[in-house]
Amino acid sequence: MDSISGLLLGFSTALQGGNILFCIIGVSAGMLVGILPGLGPVTAIALLLPVTFRMEAIPAIIMLAGIYYGSMYGGTITSVLINVPGEAASVVTCIDGHAMAKKGRAGTALGVAAIGSFIGGTATVIGLSLLGPPLAKLALGFGPQEFFAIMFLGMTMIMGLIGKSLIRGMLSAALGLTLAMIGMDPMSGALRFTFGEPNLMDGLDFVVIAMGLFGISEVLLGYETINAEKRVERISKLLPERDEWRPTMGAIGRGTFLGFLLGLIPGANAVIASVLSYSIEKKVAKDPSRFGKGAIEGVAGPETANNAFAGSAMIPLFTLGIPTSPTVAILFGAFIMHGLTPGPALFNENPTLVWAIIASMYIGNAVLLVFNLPMARLWAKIAFIPERILYPIIVAIAVVGAYSTSGSLWQVGAMLVAGVVGYFFKKVDIPLAPLLLTFVLGKLMENTFIQSMIYFGGNVLGFFARPISGTILILAFIVLGFSIVSAWKGRRRSLGSDTEV
Amino acid sequence: MKRFVLSVMVLLLAGGVLFAQGTKAAVQYPVKPIELVVPFAAGGGTDAVGRAIAASLKEILKQEVVVSNKTGGGGSVGMIDGLNAKPDGYTLIVFTREVVSLPLLGQAPFKTMDFKFLGNLNIDPPVVVVQSTSKYKTIKDLLDDMKANPDKLKFAASVVPNYYGIQLAMTTGFKFVTVPFNGAAPALTEVLGGRGDFAIVGPGEARAQVEAGNLRPLAVMAESRIAGLYKDVPTFREAGLDIVSGTYRGIAANPALPEAVSRILEDALAKVAVDPAFVQFMNKAYLGIGYKNSAEITKFVQKDIEILKPIIELAK
Repeated sequence: MDSISGLLLGFSTALQGGNILFCIIGVSAGMLVGILPGLGPVTAIALLLPVTFRMEAIPAIIMLAGIYYGSMYGGTITSVLINVPGEAASVVTCIDGHAMAKKGRAGTALGVAAIGSFIGGTATVIGLSLLGPPLAKLALGFGPQEFFAIMFLGMTMIMGLIGKSLIRGMLSAALGLTLAMIGMDPMSGALRFTFGEPNLMDGLDFVVIAMGLFGISEVLLGYETINAEKRVERISKLLPERDEWRPTMGAIGRGTFLGFLLGLIPGANAVIASVLSYSIEKKVAKDPSRFGKGAIEGVAGPETANNAFAGSAMIPLFTLGIPTSPTVAILFGAFIMHGLTPGPALFNENPTLVWAIIASMYIGNAVLLVFNLPMARLWAKIAFIPERILYPIIVAIAVVGAYSTSGSLWQVGAMLVAGVVGYFFKKVDIPLAPLLLTFVLGKLMENTFIQSMIYFGGNVLGFFARPISGTILILAFIVLGFSIVSAWKGRRRSLGSDTEV
Repeated sequence: MKRFVLSVMVLLLAGGVLFAQGTKAAVQYPVKPIELVVPFAAGGGTDAVGRAIAASLKEILKQEVVVSNKTGGGGSVGMIDGLNAKPDGYTLIVFTREVVSLPLLGQAPFKTMDFKFLGNLNIDPPVVVVQSTSKYKTIKDLLDDMKANPDKLKFAASVVPNYYGIQLAMTTGFKFVTVPFNGAAPALTEVLGGRGDFAIVGPGEARAQVEAGNLRPLAVMAESRIAGLYKDVPTFREAGLDIVSGTYRGIAANPALPEAVSRILEDALAKVAVDPAFVQFMNKAYLGIGYKNSAEITKFVQKDIEILKPIIELAK
């Protein structure tokens, strides 16, 4: 069956009353877990999975998939309005999104994120329906060697996140790498830095750490000024200014491409997509100093990238039967529980199901655009909730979220510790984004490096014998070279600004 | 003083009533919902088996069985819950092969035989798979090449230390390179992408790709052939190698469980194994049903300690 007739068949199924209802339920639930700090798509899908046991397979999977991409939209809202990431992939959105809100441009931040999310999400679903199988085949050629090269390039982007002070940025980055070391050694399975604590054996949980560092710390900071009279940010305009359209659309385009590419690669996740997108935007911007002060590309890029990732991650699932990210792995489990095996055979065995799910993603993205663009003013009311009511709610939800990651209070404790660390980091002006990047990339980089070294028989130059990994690594060295040269030139300036607030 | 005597008497009386109820309750088990701790995350294989058992137990015991996923420590955090829980039969755990491997690795805060094994319900012997375009048509082809080219073939391991791979190397004496991955999916991707030469995974994990004709199963590490999709795949024993291995999952509890409660649960698990809803689910999800009663699984686990001990010593 060709794509067009398949898609028509899919729409005729997806638009049936029950299915469209479950699509809307799914994306609404996704929006909600996206907005609620600490509860992410992994938790939400895992919790709702048992509920779908008695349902038909099509509405069940349409709903679960809806939660996934819906959460990518919702994560933006709290990041922009109250500087607390609603979902892990929206952590970098806090940086410029909240800065925009402080300038009274919260509406524009939300608007741009909604537009970017829609474009990124829809473009990848189009990619899934038209180019899915050949693309997935290409992605199979992507081994740990290529993935390592991408991670290495990602690490060089860290300069973009470091901010004003090199020393503080590196401090944060080094801590992130150290935390990534905790857990099992990828080669031997031996335990590192666990100090006999079973809860550390599988490493620190990213969601828990991100919620503590960014969310809890923000609440702690907020309590310092809780009695102060505050100007409430108004949602004035949803669309960017005329001269901002060009950079915005550029960022959305790059974000779509990046998210789409990363979604195809086994082992990546939506956080990598958004963090790398932010770094790239800062690198390509004419005036990088605007970043951190409300640069619109800093919101448009990452928010597009994480949605593009969510759509694109479905391609290897549908066409190869390979789950590439943690959330998709749970979706994979959902298929299995309904007696379906995702993979190339499913297109032939059950085309109605496959195409109905793909069609539902078009519908879901359109529904989410309505939820986000015209209704942005409604969401923005969150910022009007008085802090003494809002903060306890945030903490309560975050505690539930941390608990649900593993079902133990230990994670709640870990989140609170991370919160206190984040608070002091913010007090002494140490940027948190580098820690995040190295924490996410560190483990993957170590794994892929070891795998590559085994393939190469220990010869590091092996990377350059493969065309794709070689090209990416050379690109990374060029980026690194430029960074060093420009840092050298601006040496006096960067050290001088060490004390600047 | 009078008051004291009185209160002691009341206490004794109350204790007597409680005690009477206690023995009565043991027979009347279960009178409240049972918690079934799954030591791995929702959506995985252990979770699927746990939920299927819970659904059938609920029908058989006429009582709610609530599944809670408690992850961490490679399964040990959830399993230790079963030991720490009150031995009243209201907290049960799903045990996996990790109950044997973690203590041997020195990574668990418990000993394998600390548990009371009530019954085993799932056994999955792993399958050796290669890419369908590979030159290895039979397990003999693969082993011959392994023998002729030591340290050349790449084994995409879904977990490290990999007991299947070590057992294969130990039994054959052949050498190959183990490339560690995090899960069956990325390991199979390596084989599909032509970078890994072979993988050893569960039959359900390889099913999609075997059905689609992208992977070729060469041999199973089972005592006898497995039915269904893999019915034409020979066992290692048929190839003249004594390699039998696999994961297993069942229900365990605190060993201080009263005899009466334990018997009720053991009988219920025997019924789960033949419950049509359970059988249908397991077949649909490609999970093997392998029922063993309390005595059988206890013996089986003891035997597995002996099997894994040398393998883990080598892995260390």
